[in-house]
Amino acid sequence: MVVKCEDVWREISNYLEEDLEPEVKQALEQHFAQCRQCKSVRDGMRNVIELYGDKAMFPLPAGLYPRLHDRLANHIEGKRISRRAWLVSVGVTGALAASTVFAAMLDGFVPQPRSEMSQPARRLPNQLVAVVDGGKMFHLPGCPFLHGTYHMVTAEEAVREGYSPCTRCMADALHSAGNVKPDFEGEETARSESEEK
Amino acid sequence: MRNRERSEAPVVGVPRSDPGHEYEAALIVRIQNGERELFYELIQPYERRVFVITFTILRNEADAEDATQDALLKAFKYLGQFRSESRFSTWLIQVAINEARLRQRKSHFEIMRPLVDQENEDGSYTPRDFTDWREIPSEALERKEIREKLIAALGSLAQKYREVFVLRDVEHLSIEETAQALGISAGAVKTRLLRARLMLRDLLSPGLDGLWTGAGPTPKGIKPWS
Repeated sequence: MVVKCEDVWREISNYLEEDLEPEVKQALEQHFAQCRQCKSVRDGMRNVIELYGDKAMFPLPAGLYPRLHDRLANHIEGKRISRRAWLVSVGVTGALAASTVFAAMLDGFVPQPRSEMSQPARRLPNQLVAVVDGGKMFHLPGCPFLHGTYHMVTAEEAVREGYSPCTRCMADALHSAGNVKPDFEGEETARSESEEK
Repeated sequence: MRNRERSEAPVVGVPRSDPGHEYEAALIVRIQNGERELFYELIQPYERRVFVITFTILRNEADAEDATQDALLKAFKYLGQFRSESRFSTWLIQVAINEARLRQRKSHFEIMRPLVDQENEDGSYTPRDFTDWREIPSEALERKEIREKLIAALGSLAQKYREVFVLRDVEHLSIEETAQALGISAGAVKTRLLRARLMLRDLLSPGLDGLWTGAGPTPKGIKPWS
């Protein structure tokens, strides 16, 4: 059986899968022995398969599993409260009370916003947000106002670095975090104060 | 060569012996009957796979992570619709692929889809480069820039090739499982797989200008593999 290079290229994938009739396989092997080009195609393809098939090829982002399990736990375990969770919640409430007192002491400290026009949200959603180096706002990935290469940080970190929430894509998240109207509270108070005068 | 999973991959056409199948079926029944926490155990072997598949389709880690979370949540929500005639892993992969495709349609980049996508897949592909390939040690993958180049090459393929390639060559599904997960024929899987492998080989070929021997950090005359 004589095969042409074109025939070899068509069957080369099946050859590496060992999915060929014995006589076709043999014919291909004879061809490889004589044809440097087809040998290059075969060796290259074998390398491609070996490399992409290696587990080291796709390292997972740091923290993928914990974030995944947190999100799943919210849905799977639901709101049922076990005794341990109850103890934890008492502890957390205590810690929150302490931190409120502590926060009141530190009330004077507000991070400097990157934009003079912006204000950080008062309560932050507990999630990862996208920021661009040199930008002023933080967003959800996919927001049309997000431009350039972004990286993910927690909302808290973003505010600490002076980013403000995007009022468009973050509106829902801020709302559910307890901000009635993100960003505009100060403005309204200022207006009503000036009206009073 | 280190842990090569390929050797464990099923031989095409021969059904893989499947001791886990019954165990999974039992787990699913228990979850459906209220032991919800067992869901973690059910999906644990596939979490990585869901991420890699959504990452290959979406080509972005952050989107892939969101898609992975959403896909697994949907799998939990719709577990009642899972029919035990099929394998749970195949069903889960279908859920993951749907989630990634859905996300992709929502984003804008469908508009900027490369022309290659419309290419006729039956047209035969002619290899362009015939430089000799040395065997590439898997240690090369420890270098980030090499992984990035491989990921970029895969990302440059049209989506239908990426999907087949990631299931068969990255996740080591059989041809039949790949066909089932994507809802296409085994013949179409083989055609697309051949094409994907040939294109990747050319993209990564040491003799072609650009990827390996072009303007990269590799000094002239030295193959990046050496």
